[in-house]
Amino acid sequence: MKRQPNIVVIVAFIATLALGSLIGRHVDQLRRAEAFYRWILAAAANERLFAEENPDYKDKELYDSVSSVAESRLPELALDTKVDQPGRKLSRLGRLAGEPDYADEIWNLARGNDLVQQRQSFLDYARGRKLQLAKDIQYAEAQAGGVNVFNLFFGFRKVAATFVWIQVDRYWHQGMLYRMIPMMRTCVYLDPNFVDAYLLGAWHLAYNATAKMPDTPQALRKWDAKHEACVGEKERYYYLAVDFLRNGIQHNPYNYQLYFDLGFSVYKQKLKDYVNAVKYLSLAVQQYHQVWVPRQLYICEELNGQYEEALAGWQDYIQRYPGTQSALDTAPRFILRNKALIYEKEMRKAREAAKAAADPQEAEKLRAAAEDFKQKALQVWDEMKEPFSEYRKSRLQAQEMAEAGRYMEAVGILEKARWEDPADFDDAADLIIEIKLAGNLPLSVSEKKAVLRKQEGETCPGMPGK
Amino acid sequence: MKAVVDYIRGPWCIAIYTWREGMRKKTLVGFLILSLLVIFGSNFMSSFLDPSSETDMELKLIKDICVTAIAIFGMLITVFISASVVPAEMDNKVIYTVLSKPVRRGQYLLGKFLGVQLIILINLALMGSLFFLALYARQHVLPTLLLWSIFLTYFSFLIVSAFTFAVSCASTSSVLPTIAGLFIYLTGTLTEYLNDVFTRSGQSGAFIDKLVGYMAWCLYNVLPNLARYDLKTQIVDRAVNDPPTDALIPWLVLMALVYALSGFLMAYIIFRRKEL
Amino acid sequence: MSVVIETKNLNKIYEGARRRQDLHALKDLNLSIPAGEIFGYLGPNGSGKTTTIKMLLSLIFPTSGEIRILGSKDISSAKVKRSIGYLPEGAYYPDFLRGEEILEYYGKLYGLTGKDLKRRVDAVIDVVGMSHARNRLLRGYSKGMRQRIGLAQALISDPQILILDEPTTGLDPIARKEIRDILAQLRDQGKTLLISSHELLEVELISDRVGILFEGVLQTMGTLNELLTEREFSIEVTGATEAALSRLAEKGISVEDRVGDKLKLRVAEGHSSYEALELCRAENLNLHSVAPRRETLEELFVRVVGAAEAKRRQAA
Repeated sequence: MKRQPNIVVIVAFIATLALGSLIGRHVDQLRRAEAFYRWILAAAANERLFAEENPDYKDKELYDSVSSVAESRLPELALDTKVDQPGRKLSRLGRLAGEPDYADEIWNLARGNDLVQQRQSFLDYARGRKLQLAKDIQYAEAQAGGVNVFNLFFGFRKVAATFVWIQVDRYWHQGMLYRMIPMMRTCVYLDPNFVDAYLLGAWHLAYNATAKMPDTPQALRKWDAKHEACVGEKERYYYLAVDFLRNGIQHNPYNYQLYFDLGFSVYKQKLKDYVNAVKYLSLAVQQYHQVWVPRQLYICEELNGQYEEALAGWQDYIQRYPGTQSALDTAPRFILRNKALIYEKEMRKAREAAKAAADPQEAEKLRAAAEDFKQKALQVWDEMKEPFSEYRKSRLQAQEMAEAGRYMEAVGILEKARWEDPADFDDAADLIIEIKLAGNLPLSVSEKKAVLRKQEGETCPGMPGK
Repeated sequence: MKAVVDYIRGPWCIAIYTWREGMRKKTLVGFLILSLLVIFGSNFMSSFLDPSSETDMELKLIKDICVTAIAIFGMLITVFISASVVPAEMDNKVIYTVLSKPVRRGQYLLGKFLGVQLIILINLALMGSLFFLALYARQHVLPTLLLWSIFLTYFSFLIVSAFTFAVSCASTSSVLPTIAGLFIYLTGTLTEYLNDVFTRSGQSGAFIDKLVGYMAWCLYNVLPNLARYDLKTQIVDRAVNDPPTDALIPWLVLMALVYALSGFLMAYIIFRRKEL
Repeated sequence: MSVVIETKNLNKIYEGARRRQDLHALKDLNLSIPAGEIFGYLGPNGSGKTTTIKMLLSLIFPTSGEIRILGSKDISSAKVKRSIGYLPEGAYYPDFLRGEEILEYYGKLYGLTGKDLKRRVDAVIDVVGMSHARNRLLRGYSKGMRQRIGLAQALISDPQILILDEPTTGLDPIARKEIRDILAQLRDQGKTLLISSHELLEVELISDRVGILFEGVLQTMGTLNELLTEREFSIEVTGATEAALSRLAEKGISVEDRVGDKLKLRVAEGHSSYEALELCRAENLNLHSVAPRRETLEELFVRVVGAAEAKRRQAA
């Protein structure tokens, strides 16, 4: 009688141990699926945004296989005109990457039965270090070498990353740029979710490192096939920053800051590549983001000539953040500005159409329409009363003069205008050269240099097709 | 229902008593003070950093150091307290006065175990709230996600605690179970190694090679894998909906509860006919 | 009178690593303690007293044999345990608690709550005479006060049976006296007390019956009147020479005590008083007094233990 309960307890003990072990196996499966899921996100972000391929790794092969299964399982979304290149074939999986709303769908796919085979090959490849984008797998099962010593000390890996970062910071203060870069890479290898390291690292590379560097003459620049650009010394660092941020995006596809820094800090501010700036800022806006993110997107859209999008954006901004300082003050100014810019654009279009029109009646009609647009634009500029609007008015006037052959007067107006609104100095300078060339007026030395630079164009040694 | 209340009343008194006594242990208070110092000190780590940097790197520093400090000191507290409550009572003979009362051995163990959990939870809460304070002073937002992180940390401690407690029931001094507890923790964190042994075994084809691999595989499947709870570090960073974490948390909690029950039953098997 | 504690052929063997190292701590113990008596459980250190008590409380388990408490065989049941109070030897009580709080804790373990608990705590504090210190932290308690708190926790449920392991060890004479008084008072209330001790004087002063345990065997058991013989007597004399004393010793009259010139002679069993006085007179001793002499418990103890040892030597 005394023995019996003992047996019951022992049986219960074994049963709970077995149950615990079963749950443990299930958790293991989930963690493997999790690693797989994170790799899928990285690979999909790569397909959609960067299209990088490295033949040394199996990422592409595996991704294609996953993507072909996903094609029938995931919902189809229309291509995002701001982000996706028109004409490029994008898989459904690639399209959904970076959309937090669809995270659950991708996760269900990653853990589900449809991808059993792919999940297994993922684990095999990851164990054999055949996957470039699966670096952050912390779970030793999928990790080459078996045991990750860092796992021993809880979040020690992350603390280590932090201390590596302190060293990066120290090198920065000692001016040892060349030591910083490998340390920065170590840092994000240790902690791929260390978003601040990506941000600060890219900032160091794109801003601080290049601050004292001279511009490289076009002839001395070299073609960079990966980024399809002619790079000098400064640009090399800009693109290092781009790569660093891209790496960050692959590992943290739902973090707006990385998209924002890539779009704004590097592409807009440093590379003046507004197409890419708009692309990444649009992605930043799709994530959970801060108030100022969309503002930069609309400004970049304006710079990229997408006035309609910018206008719609600002109008939406007022709806979304009513009562804020920027909704009350900044947004209305930008709305006017984009409205006027749209009128100017329509005016230019109408004029060009008028020039091309064969039918004089039609041409007359178009010219009238152009005049109408011009008046509308002027009306808006009058309403604005800002240095920029004054400049735009002068600009319209100068163009009018030049049209009428009064080149000297046109140049005069622009010279005056650019001193009154230094923010648009470069734009005015370009227009002055254009008018002077059209009117055969003599160019200044710096203008001649500018013309020469333009003639050299964007070409450099090693560029394909040259 | 009344039976349950009657059964639990005694253990609950013992748990409260264990907690009151445990909070006075010098080692425990020492660990607590140390961890609080680390958490407090992490605020000054920022002196290593560039003051002009725009992002809040200090925040990351504080988070990482604090999460690690809570994990390490919490684990030490867990091991020391789980290893010592029962042997200490055997040593000072309080256990005789308690077990001579109408308290069944199972009830006694339950009370002690609950008391240990209370101590661990309250220590975690103390460390956690200072951590929250440190973060709040800097960020002025309450880091609610960190609650989840500490919550998960506790469940990994629960497993270590249950098995250390079981070992302590077999021992008369707290030294052996303390060492055993640290060993349980290390083994728990390193079970992946056993899996690795299994995947690599059988290469030579020798019987002993296969046998070792098979044994490693069995152990890997039976032992609780504490490395799974490392998820907490992912929580610290995440800003948005992360479906894998959401899917994992309930399973991790369930796993901890089941293993804790198993550790407790082991303690009961050892203790129920133990000669005191 | 009903029997409260009863053991039948109780054996306990502590198993060693090998069979030869087994320790037979208790051999065929047959105890029977009726209600309302103070039973002195005696024996030198390591004789098996604490082993017996632990078995009674099911802290350890018998190798063979049977225990009945209040007629019940299931001695670990709550019902039985509720009727037992136990004071272990040299137990520690947490010194961060107040006297009162400790008693509340133990009271709750008995399932006492609310008013009942408060009433019992007040009552036992009163019994052990600790009312003045009930709100003080145990840290400030003297050894005697701690022992009283220990006694109070044993009494908290108003048990029928009290088992006290070395209740007066390490206390000063005044504290011993006080504890003794409390125990006598408890006996008068009709409680059954089992007091284990190796301090014979204490037990002699309060016990109704004693049992002497040596090397796991109950050597003798009975009331003090039964066990302590009164067949000897002593003679006080002066003016004895060494030669005279040695001659007397041959006849069975030995020197028990010597203070200056005054001698106390002990006359062994078997001599009549006249015969002894004749012998003394023959040696020209000055007689001062003649008194019957009751054996002390200590002597009984030495006698019993000595006999047991002699028996063992013989067997070996």
